[in-house]
Amino acid sequence: MPKRSQVDPALPGIFHALADPTRLAVVERLSVAPASASELAKPFAMALPSFMQHMGVLERAGIVTSHKSGRTRTYQLAPGSLQLAAAWLSEFRNHWERALDQLDQLLITTNPAGVGADDEPTQHKEQP
Amino acid sequence: MSHFTPDPALDLVLERTIAVSPERVWAAWTEPELLKQWFTPAPWKTTAVDLDLRPGGRYVTTMESPEGDQYPNAGCYLQVEPNRLLVFTSVMTEDFRPVAPANGAGDLAFTARVEIEPTGDGGTRYRAIAMHAQEDACKQHADMGFAEGWGAALDQLVALMS
Repeated sequence: MPKRSQVDPALPGIFHALADPTRLAVVERLSVAPASASELAKPFAMALPSFMQHMGVLERAGIVTSHKSGRTRTYQLAPGSLQLAAAWLSEFRNHWERALDQLDQLLITTNPAGVGADDEPTQHKEQP
Repeated sequence: MSHFTPDPALDLVLERTIAVSPERVWAAWTEPELLKQWFTPAPWKTTAVDLDLRPGGRYVTTMESPEGDQYPNAGCYLQVEPNRLLVFTSVMTEDFRPVAPANGAGDLAFTARVEIEPTGDGGTRYRAIAMHAQEDACKQHADMGFAEGWGAALDQLVALMS
């Protein structure tokens, strides 16, 4: 496992906030451009109060920020929190890449005749 | 009223028998001062209502959050059959003028159908249907809280009009 002294205290809230299809859709929508709450929810008036609870979860997790202009509230992505989540996830990718490198070495060492050497043992090293 | 069959992939339905007469349900939906009192689940409020009750007539309702943010909603009526049927849509405004799609939110168009039928013992068989153009929009409306929102509002209508 990746070595960590401690998990960033903001991470659980970030992943919790993302673990919902409505909130994920909002994050995707806001990645295009900032939007007012009305634009995000229109025209589902009676669902709006429930929907705004989702926006509250995203805002408390630091994934979105909002500002009020007149009596309209506009939301935008706060990229920092998603970078925190992405960095945490990428540590796992690094960990598994290292582990697979070691497996490669082991297989090469224990299979000196090169049987199966055409099975592209380095495939996992490709970067996405 | 003509019978309408909802499409389960595109439509959300709230159906309930309530102890409020069809005339009272109609009044709650069509008289601004009544609509204000039940339309928005508390602690939200409906602060402004502008209704022109005829096919092609506009409706504007403004909701206010507990923080004081305002959310206007507008559309027009399509069918107005007193004490029986009210159909309205968000895709047109006054006199059926089409609404330009919102930036990135054009798939949230919907048409609502409120069916009011007498039960025979003074109550109403109430059916509210939200129709959508695409399954995605229907699901989004469901996830956003269609059942909670419409259900809570209907509870408030019953409490107000009983």
